[in-house]
Amino acid sequence: MTSLEIARPAVLENLEFFIQGLSRWLADGGMRPDCIKRVQLAVEEALVNVFRYAYGKGSGMVLLRGRKTEDGLFLIEIIDQGVPFDICTAPAPDLSCTITDRKIGGLGVFFIKKMTDEIRYRREGDSNVLTLVVRDKDPGVTPFKDKMAQAR
Amino acid sequence: MEIAVNKVPDGVVIALAGRMDAVTAPKFDRVMDDLIARGERRIVVDLKDLEYISSAGLQSILAAAKRLEPEGGRIDLAALQGPVFEVFDISGFTSIFHIFDSPAAALQES
Repeated sequence: MTSLEIARPAVLENLEFFIQGLSRWLADGGMRPDCIKRVQLAVEEALVNVFRYAYGKGSGMVLLRGRKTEDGLFLIEIIDQGVPFDICTAPAPDLSCTITDRKIGGLGVFFIKKMTDEIRYRREGDSNVLTLVVRDKDPGVTPFKDKMAQAR
Repeated sequence: MEIAVNKVPDGVVIALAGRMDAVTAPKFDRVMDDLIARGERRIVVDLKDLEYISSAGLQSILAAAKRLEPEGGRIDLAALQGPVFEVFDISGFTSIFHIFDSPAAALQES
């Protein structure tokens, strides 16, 4: 399996290009469609975070890199040269149960953590390097109808 | 993302199809702004054909609900499918919104 490497300016208009390239690469690597959607979500949240905050009012690039290990792990890196930001230390989101109390925002990092098996951050020179580790597996989602019943 | 707005006697059904992400969610915001400005207060979002949603989509739906609440309005959700349901569920949105099997079922409960 070839590795993935996409470099583009860190702007929202490039989100679709990144996600399409990522999805093709994951599918070529044999990942199941439901797992691909979970990885899409984690990577979108990580990229949007870079687009919005990494370069302040300036501009810069973002590099999306991926490789699959011999033991079946997908390692996906999101690299930018913006302000240092260790996503692993971001606070837990507000999960209040009423519309009035619930704060808008804060879910992005939560999804990155939920949709991957592991996340790692390192500052390498002037770069933020976020690594998402994903193993293609059955997410163990409870059947939809059961979940609906539980939600009520 | 495709958005279809269907005015019904008891309110409005907004059917979303495709992907609701950071790029497409503002389209939903604009539709909601328009509906709320026109005085619509009872809105059902039909998610049967929505394939994907990210935090940007959830934030848009929550923001619309927050705007409607002080006006005595309400947003209900209908027909969530597997992966989209999972995203709503883990983020706690299944606890803050009423969820129905279909738009018709939502509209029956006013």
